[in-house]
Amino acid sequence: MNRRKTVAIVLFAILILILAALIAIWTHFGQREKRYECTNYAMGTYIQQTVYGKKAQEAAKEAAVKIQELENLISWRKNDSDIGRLNQAAGTKPAVIHEKTAALLRTSLEIAQKSNGAYDPTILPISDLWGFESDNPCVPDSKDIQKFLPDVNYKDLQVSTGSSGSTAFMKRAMMGIDLGGIGKGAACDEAVAAYRTAGAECGIISAGGSSLGLFGTKADGTPWKIAIRDPNSSDNSVTEMAELNLDSGFVSTSGVYEKKFTQNGITYHHLLNPKTGYPENNGLVSVTVVTPNGALSDGLSTACFVLGLEKGEALLKQYQCEGVFIDRARNVYVTAGLKSRLKIINSKYVIKS
Amino acid sequence: MFEKKDLLIIVPFLIIAAGIFAWFNLRSSAGGIAVVEKSGVEICRIDLSKQTKTEILDIGGDMHIKLKVEPGAISFYHSDCPDQICVRTGKLTKPGQTAVCVPGKVSVRIIQRSGEKKYDGYTGWHQ
Repeated sequence: MNRRKTVAIVLFAILILILAALIAIWTHFGQREKRYECTNYAMGTYIQQTVYGKKAQEAAKEAAVKIQELENLISWRKNDSDIGRLNQAAGTKPAVIHEKTAALLRTSLEIAQKSNGAYDPTILPISDLWGFESDNPCVPDSKDIQKFLPDVNYKDLQVSTGSSGSTAFMKRAMMGIDLGGIGKGAACDEAVAAYRTAGAECGIISAGGSSLGLFGTKADGTPWKIAIRDPNSSDNSVTEMAELNLDSGFVSTSGVYEKKFTQNGITYHHLLNPKTGYPENNGLVSVTVVTPNGALSDGLSTACFVLGLEKGEALLKQYQCEGVFIDRARNVYVTAGLKSRLKIINSKYVIKS
Repeated sequence: MFEKKDLLIIVPFLIIAAGIFAWFNLRSSAGGIAVVEKSGVEICRIDLSKQTKTEILDIGGDMHIKLKVEPGAISFYHSDCPDQICVRTGKLTKPGQTAVCVPGKVSVRIIQRSGEKKYDGYTGWHQ
């Protein structure tokens, strides 16, 4: 073997080595730098973000700020929030509210109208009685439910916007707004808007594990892979029953397992029917809704759960949104637009049509 | 163009190149999440894959337990317990591994990082 050739081969080999090292470093550190994950507590729940791109960290931080701002506007637990002031002013005078609060109230009123009150933002008098958000939820006295039920009526909530800003007014003093059925989805809207503004490449936000916001396309071009919880799996070993492959949008799930308690052997879940004042018991155990808007996905999942399968599907059709309904017998009903995107993982579940 | 002898030079380099890849990949996937519990109550969670330096974590308690946290591994560093089983367990690196100091009522276990990117998101996982 001549010497020159040996030198050439050694140099070639060293080149391969350097290339290999560079590629390894690039794939390892390059991707790691571009990905940013963070968690924080807001809206009374756990917010989890994973954002990609050079601006990932900036985008996630901005999203957290925006979500906090939203909470300061719409939390009914804060006396000085828009909703807090609106609740205090109920029956007396209109409260001046931020345009963002007004927009969210309008979205909630629209869902309330189209679902014929199956979702109602003025549920507070009843949701307070049950206390699902408190440390000590219990079944209220039926007399109390009957007493407060007439004060749950979205038709008596008025939102108006004029040249001097927005106001909202509730007709009766005992009325109150609880945006728990829409707030987490609205938080996802805030986050996705922040990702777009900050120039993130793509990202996913989860608010409380029940509302998700998907932004952009993943670097590898594959759709977002979203697991839907098996509603029958227990809290300490939650498993998935299906996966949804989505390009974008917002996903919300309302399920009987979310907030619940057991009293005298009966388990009560938090999805209250605004007409009866009791948890809805129509055979459904979870409804997942996919929409182009977060607040809408959250509100519609609540409305569809209370409406039940047939009316729920009709409501989704009106909004041109998609959904997955699961009933107690593990039957799965999927709207047409999601059929090719849903893959059952737990074979105990059967797709019906 | 190539002779057999040339392979003797090229192959080792290719092996080294493959080694570099393997090393980086193993490093990035090494270690799940260490869950540290004291008297059955979780006191902290450490993502071992994100650990970049070696630290001593003082857990205290009756046995003055100290844990050693390294990139990709966690171990009992010190315990006053008589049997020293926990210290002798050595480094935990893989999901499923557990080390316990029974007298000190401290346990460390490694769990899979949630979903290990099996899914991008989870819906219905109420928190």
